[in-house]
Amino acid sequence: MFRFVHSSDLHIGKRFGNMPEELRGRLREARHMALERLAREARATGAGTILLAGDSFDTETPSPAMLRQALSAMAGAPLRWIVLPGNHDSLLADDLWAAAQGALPDNVHLALTPEPLLFDGAAILSAPCTTRRPGRDLTEWMDDAATADGVIRIGLAHGPVQSFSEDGVGADVIAPNRPARAGLDYLALGDWHGQMRIGERCWYSGAPEPDRFKHDQPGRALLVSIAAPGAPADVAPIETGSFDWRTVPLDLLSGDDAVAALARALPAAAMRRHALLRISASGRTSPAMRSALEQAVAREAPEFGLLELDMDGLATDCEAGDLDAIDRAGALRQAAEALLAESNDEARSSAEREVASSALLRLFSYCEALRA
Amino acid sequence: MRLTALRLHNVRRFAGSGIAVEGIGDGVNVLCAANEYGKSTCFDALHALFFQPHTGTASPIQSLRPYSGGSPLVEADIATADGRFRISKQFYAGRRATVTDLGSGRLVAQADEAERFIAALVRGGTAGPAGLLWVRQGNTGLDKRSKGEDDETRARESILSSVQGEVEAITGGRRMETVRARCEEELGKLVTATGRPKAGGPYLAAMEERDRLAVEEQRLAEEVRRLRAALDRRRAARARLTEIDRPEETAERLSALKAAEAELAQAKARQDALRAARAEAELAARHADAARSTLDAFAAAADRLAGLSPRLAAGNAQRDAAREQQRVAIAAGEEAARVVEAAEREEREARELLGRLDKALRAREAAERLAAQRQTLEAAEAARAEIERIEAALKALSLPDDAVKRIEAMEADIAARRAAMSARAPVLRMRYRDGATGAVRLDGTPLPEGERALAGSVDLDIDGIGTLTLRVPREEAGAAELATAEAKHRALLASLGLESLAEAYQRQEALRQHATDLALARQRLALLVPNGLAALREEITRLAGENAEKLELKGDPVAARLALDAAGLRVEAARIAAREQQPRRMQADSRLIESEATLHALQSEREALIATLGPEPEREARHAALRDTFTQAQRRAGDTQQHVEELTGGIELTDAEARVLRLRSIVDAAREEAGRLRVELAALNSEIGIRADEAVEEAWAEVREALEAAQARVERFTREVATLTRLDAALEAARSAAHEHYFKPVMRELQPLLGLLFEDATVTFDEATLTPRSVRRNGLDERVDVLSGGMREQLAVLTRLAFARLLAENGEPAPVILDDALVYSDDDRIERMFDALHRQARQQQIIVFSCRQRAFQRLGGHALQPIPWAPER
Repeated sequence: MFRFVHSSDLHIGKRFGNMPEELRGRLREARHMALERLAREARATGAGTILLAGDSFDTETPSPAMLRQALSAMAGAPLRWIVLPGNHDSLLADDLWAAAQGALPDNVHLALTPEPLLFDGAAILSAPCTTRRPGRDLTEWMDDAATADGVIRIGLAHGPVQSFSEDGVGADVIAPNRPARAGLDYLALGDWHGQMRIGERCWYSGAPEPDRFKHDQPGRALLVSIAAPGAPADVAPIETGSFDWRTVPLDLLSGDDAVAALARALPAAAMRRHALLRISASGRTSPAMRSALEQAVAREAPEFGLLELDMDGLATDCEAGDLDAIDRAGALRQAAEALLAESNDEARSSAEREVASSALLRLFSYCEALRA
Repeated sequence: MRLTALRLHNVRRFAGSGIAVEGIGDGVNVLCAANEYGKSTCFDALHALFFQPHTGTASPIQSLRPYSGGSPLVEADIATADGRFRISKQFYAGRRATVTDLGSGRLVAQADEAERFIAALVRGGTAGPAGLLWVRQGNTGLDKRSKGEDDETRARESILSSVQGEVEAITGGRRMETVRARCEEELGKLVTATGRPKAGGPYLAAMEERDRLAVEEQRLAEEVRRLRAALDRRRAARARLTEIDRPEETAERLSALKAAEAELAQAKARQDALRAARAEAELAARHADAARSTLDAFAAAADRLAGLSPRLAAGNAQRDAAREQQRVAIAAGEEAARVVEAAEREEREARELLGRLDKALRAREAAERLAAQRQTLEAAEAARAEIERIEAALKALSLPDDAVKRIEAMEADIAARRAAMSARAPVLRMRYRDGATGAVRLDGTPLPEGERALAGSVDLDIDGIGTLTLRVPREEAGAAELATAEAKHRALLASLGLESLAEAYQRQEALRQHATDLALARQRLALLVPNGLAALREEITRLAGENAEKLELKGDPVAARLALDAAGLRVEAARIAAREQQPRRMQADSRLIESEATLHALQSEREALIATLGPEPEREARHAALRDTFTQAQRRAGDTQQHVEELTGGIELTDAEARVLRLRSIVDAAREEAGRLRVELAALNSEIGIRADEAVEEAWAEVREALEAAQARVERFTREVATLTRLDAALEAARSAAHEHYFKPVMRELQPLLGLLFEDATVTFDEATLTPRSVRRNGLDERVDVLSGGMREQLAVLTRLAFARLLAENGEPAPVILDDALVYSDDDRIERMFDALHRQARQQQIIVFSCRQRAFQRLGGHALQPIPWAPER
């Protein structure tokens, strides 16, 4: 029985320059804390080994303190850490790896060469990224790597299994059937920040701490147990994230109460501090509802790590009643009608129409304030 | 539109009951009642009917509700161009809105349709004002402000701003101003008046932050690029160094060098041997060549000698022929020269003869000329002597110029004196009797008949009578002067050598004669010697000096000249003949030289060949010896060449040297490179260390993301500015359209009414703004900058009236509704307003709500009376 935790893409050192100042430090710290959470989970589940399938560090040159602190966090029996260079911290980062080697705790192994690493009846076959873009399938060598009978073969690699480039012949793509071809009991992959099953014996663990809205998943790792060579891999997700990054869709129909919909979509108060939410509003609404939604989001935002409102997909319908809210007659009404006509004028560029539309919404909100 | 009736039920204090105001007509209608009688309720209900949606619950509607609750119902009958209608609204429970055609009793519209119908009634055209024109109690368009303020103190508004305010109140402009102010305030935080990001504003701050980040990003990108380049270089350097330092590589390099050096030594030894053999072979070959050429030369010389004899004979013959030819040519040349010489001699002689003849001729001419000149000299000298003689004579005879005239004058004087004396003297006249002649004698002499003068004493002997003596006294004075004159006369003549005047005349004549002669003599001399005697004498001397001997003339000069010409022609011909001989001579000469040279060459060759070949008898033996020598030399050359070929081959020395050099340079280069790489590595290590410690890649990623965020922020601001700018422009456009559309026309309509504001005053207007500029009151100009509260409310009323007039002119008559609009006005002023109202009401419906019963009694007009009313069930 070989039981281990499979994780990847910690991106320690990532600074989140696009985030509000006060959030950056917390997000950065959370990445570092992922190491501790992984260790805790491993101890809790009885896994002796933690495989980090690349991109443990965000850059090739993390600050010495960052590196040393990461290594210190890994130190301590009975866990064994196996760290694979990924594309962000490839073998080109010789300084990084040399420094790591210089301060390496006994229980941490750097998988810097494509050769089997043997212990506990298991062989870890690593495919370290040689450069940022290796341009070939680095796991190919595993096909011919011989190990003794009765040894569990675990592949460890970092990279895409699918090429998205137009002319891609897939040279730099890891063959998804590598476990079968190389007789691996499990192939631990890194690179994709969302957890994903590629095959029975092949998984992306996803990042233990999310760093973007893209995946809409909490931070996770995998707990893998393999009873014997050739036995099925028992793969179970484990939660490791501290921040919850999520895009919240808010599909509205004309007449829907957007504020109520928002209230339903937002998580419980206790979760909010660690939640980074992007409210993605779409559909149609009225000017009044639109500004109500904006105000509601502004009201709730301070409770959250981050609360953004994206209304790009939200169309605002102005009806006669809405214009009446501005004025029933007179110059204001006249201005409102001119803006409405301009925003619906097909002959104008979409930029002009958007400006006119937003000017109209602004006029609406001013009149709203005037009435209050 | 006109209102004809208003009914309301369940409104405010009319809970469960209602009132109706019926029969509202054209012109001024007055609903005058005490406070809280229901006047304001009517007003508010009417307002709500026209301006509040029946579905709404806004405060104006809430205020209509009775305290006990219930659903307020408001109803109005109206007359429009399309007909008469009843519009009705019920709020809250059972809310509804209906429009009924009063003519047909048909329901025209309800609910939203009805709202639209009502809206169409009260909404004018462009930014139009309501179809109802309202003035509330004490309220003007300006009083959206605190109610607590003293109206009088805040009423200090100019007419312009007041009217503007009123117009805006009617056209919705007051809210517009607030909205615009808000819009501009927000825009002003971001950009300057010219639309540029404002210093200290968040927009500019965002832009600056973005720019700062962009610069920072560039810097870090460069840092990262350098770091990566340094890493790449270090990796390459390390790889290279490892390669160089690998022991087997080093050993391989050294052994290769050693082998190459051994090969080089071997190659060098072989090279020396080969060089010696090559020299030997070359020498032998040269010997063989020499022997072959000696042999060949010998054979050739023999052949040539054999072929030389006939050519020698021919050469001799040629030379002899040339010599003969030359001799003939020389002879011909000499003959021609002789002929030339003879001809030249003849010519010379002819020329000499001609010369002599010329000379003789010239000598003869000179002699003749000398003789002639001598004669001329003689004649000239004679002429000259003659001249001298005449000149001497002239000199002798010469008289002073005036001498004759003076003598003439003197003689005339003397004669005159004598005549005078004789006239005065006694006269003796004698007349003889016949026969007595001569009877009287004087001094012995008979006295002739006639008269004569008597002087002194005269003795007359009278024959026969005696002597008569007459004594006449002497006239002494005259006689003395005469004597003096005569003496002078005589002295002058004597000084001139003359006897008398006649002689003087003679001498004058003689002088004239001599002068003529002298001129002639001089002329003659001048003809003889035009250049003067001296020149003539000189010529004579010269001519005499020339050898003027006379030569004998032999022969005829003309013949001599012809002979000379003929001789010249002969010389020319002879010379041409001689010249013709010359080429022939030259040709002969050159042919001779040529043939002699040929012959000489042949002879020399022959001698040389003989020298080469040696004496005849030894020749054959010598030939054989030479053949032997050649054969031997040839063999030796072959042998040595073979030796060379044996030695040739194997490694070229240069190749071996190059190889050694190459290998040695590899070894050296490897050592050098290793050293250099170590230095470079040290430098790179420190460079990388510095950058890596700063975690520049992390910083770069951070700044990149921050830059994106900043860029997004700037874009948001840009959009915000665009939005606000667009809104502001739309508001401004609408405002100015409303202003254009109403303000001026209203001002124009207002003008005639404004006079009402000012007692006993005439108002002047600004042409451009149409606003009152000054008021002339009691003969004094006052500026109308400020208005009192009363004036302002009057102005508000007047503005509505003006508006109403404007609307009526546009075919949209609108009722003017005044709710205690004149609270601040004094009675006098109110009357003026009443006049204005009545004047206006001729075309207009005006409904006045007032609690000032007494004051408004004077308004006149149609009094309206509310009556209880309940809707039909």
